[in-house]
Amino acid sequence: MATVTFDHATRVYPGTERPAVDQLNLHIEDGEFLVLVGPSGCGKSTSLRMLAGLEDVNGGRILIGDRDVTDVQPKDRDIAMVFQNYALYPHMSVADNMGFALKIAGTPKAEIRQRVEEAAKILDLTEYLDRKPKALSGGQRQRVAMGRAIVRQPQVFLMDEPLSNLDAKLRVQTRTQIASLQRRLGVTTVYVTHDQTEALTMGDRIAVLKGGLLQQVGTPREMYDTPANVFVAGFIGSPAMNLGTFEVKDGAAQVGSAQIPLERNVIAGMTEADGGKLTVGFRPESLDVVPAGTPGSFQVETNLVEELGSDAFLYGSLKGGVVGELSAGDSDQLIVRIDPRNVPMKGEVINVAIKAGQAHVFSAATGNRLS
Amino acid sequence: MSAPTLTPAATATPVRRSRRFTMKPSTAVVYFIALIVVGFTLGPVIYGVLSGFRTNAQIAENPAGFPSPFVFFNYTGVLTNPSFWRYALNSTGIAVITTALVVICGVMAAYPLARYEFKYREGVFMVFVVGLLFPASVAIIPLFILITQNFHLGNTWIGIALPQAAFALPTTVVILRPFLQALPKELEEAAQLDGASRIGFFWRILLPLSGPGMVTVGVLAFVGSWNAYLLPLLLLGPQNKTLPLGVADFSSEHGSDTAGVFAFTSLAMIPALVFFLAMQKRIVNGLQGAVKG
Repeated sequence: MATVTFDHATRVYPGTERPAVDQLNLHIEDGEFLVLVGPSGCGKSTSLRMLAGLEDVNGGRILIGDRDVTDVQPKDRDIAMVFQNYALYPHMSVADNMGFALKIAGTPKAEIRQRVEEAAKILDLTEYLDRKPKALSGGQRQRVAMGRAIVRQPQVFLMDEPLSNLDAKLRVQTRTQIASLQRRLGVTTVYVTHDQTEALTMGDRIAVLKGGLLQQVGTPREMYDTPANVFVAGFIGSPAMNLGTFEVKDGAAQVGSAQIPLERNVIAGMTEADGGKLTVGFRPESLDVVPAGTPGSFQVETNLVEELGSDAFLYGSLKGGVVGELSAGDSDQLIVRIDPRNVPMKGEVINVAIKAGQAHVFSAATGNRLS
Repeated sequence: MSAPTLTPAATATPVRRSRRFTMKPSTAVVYFIALIVVGFTLGPVIYGVLSGFRTNAQIAENPAGFPSPFVFFNYTGVLTNPSFWRYALNSTGIAVITTALVVICGVMAAYPLARYEFKYREGVFMVFVVGLLFPASVAIIPLFILITQNFHLGNTWIGIALPQAAFALPTTVVILRPFLQALPKELEEAAQLDGASRIGFFWRILLPLSGPGMVTVGVLAFVGSWNAYLLPLLLLGPQNKTLPLGVADFSSEHGSDTAGVFAFTSLAMIPALVFFLAMQKRIVNGLQGAVKG
């Protein structure tokens, strides 16, 4: 068991100006499940591959435990990796696939067999040990890939989007299995995904990357409750947070017809570059439906209601505002969580107010959190 | 598939049934061309095999006729001739050595060209591509001097197999390289993490997976060597003659024994044909080249 430390680790691909991973500083505790998450091209896979030794490190260091592994061969780093397409050896049986690393290392046959069987038992693969990967389903192949990692009893597990080749239902199931397996084995794990739901549900801590830069690291709760900047705010959470940039007048943000009072230190944090504007964000569940005329409320015109049974989400536009001024995620609509038993019709206008203390305020210029 | 496509199909069915033995003009043209091609390919073979069952007198009387009556002495004559078996042994030995050399050297040359990244990789590969365009007949005299005088390998199996393998190598590398490139990069990375060196990856993962590709190039090399005429003609003495040379030998010895030549050629074809048919299924696999993970 070991910690993992990225110390100003940088990777610049040959022929490119901008680093794919720029000065990454990250410390992962022993036994921790850390999820690297971000949109495609954010450098999360590159970071993982740097840790695996599959990518060169152009600057900084990477440590596993107290050992500097920056220039150590992948096989000598005592790590195991699960690939997105599993990378199982097609010509070997499941047992041979799982025992391959041990075989190369010259472990006695009896011990290989024993360790493979143990891992197969954990993963429910015992009856498939003599099959070839071709004769397995996607989920079984995924488990073999996990098994191959477990058998080696490494210090660190690296997982590169291991669930993205599974169908939606299996993905949710396997997600839980991997998370509980990791808790049981207690092996430090670095997990890469582009799916923020996976990140929230699996990780002890989450690291959000964008454009090769680390945006924020924290527990799922911290990421959800206090996103460090507009990007993290919009990225974490499903449905996404409503974000909009508004004028600040008399110590309050002008959202549609409503004024959102701002704290003194927020106003003090504003700079010239902001041009008297602030980015305000609030989650769909931070809105209350209130009677018309309630102070601090604004009007939303219903475009669509998505019913999920336990919840219902209303997609609408800010009445009297420009479309796109306030929107959630990639949509140009505002999302409000509403009582599923009391759903407004399309076109109906409702009044909503932000719950006290649940607005996130960011600088309009830098996108950094102010509140 | 879905409902809209069902309706026209249902109405079309009775029409199709009423003119069951007619076909679309385009299909007819395709079949016609295919028949001509098959005729050109198979015609001489069938003619050769059938003529082996005729006497020289029958052939002289009517060169394109059927055997009447069937005579078997041409075939039995060839089969009981010890030099036929010696030639067959020579052909087999040379073909096997050539094939082994081509497959071993080919895959070892194609591996770095496919999976290592080095500066002049494409340049080195181009050398092999250029090799494709090099006619063996141009090099035949220098080769003769090189093999017989410099290497003292004239009139030996290995002396003929070496240049043949060399000339088959460009094709081999050109076929094998994309095949090896098609193996997913993750497989190599997984092996790397599992502790396999590049050589270890080559032996334990790449070689077992490139079986179909190697069979493909192996069969091509084998058949090429089996049919080779010019190089063996120059390099081999009477004791080491291969089957194609034997044919020429046969025909000059017996003057006008055309039927004997036909029988000899037909029999000489069989081993290569059997080998090709046995491997045919794997060749198709090899050309597809896919490795499913």
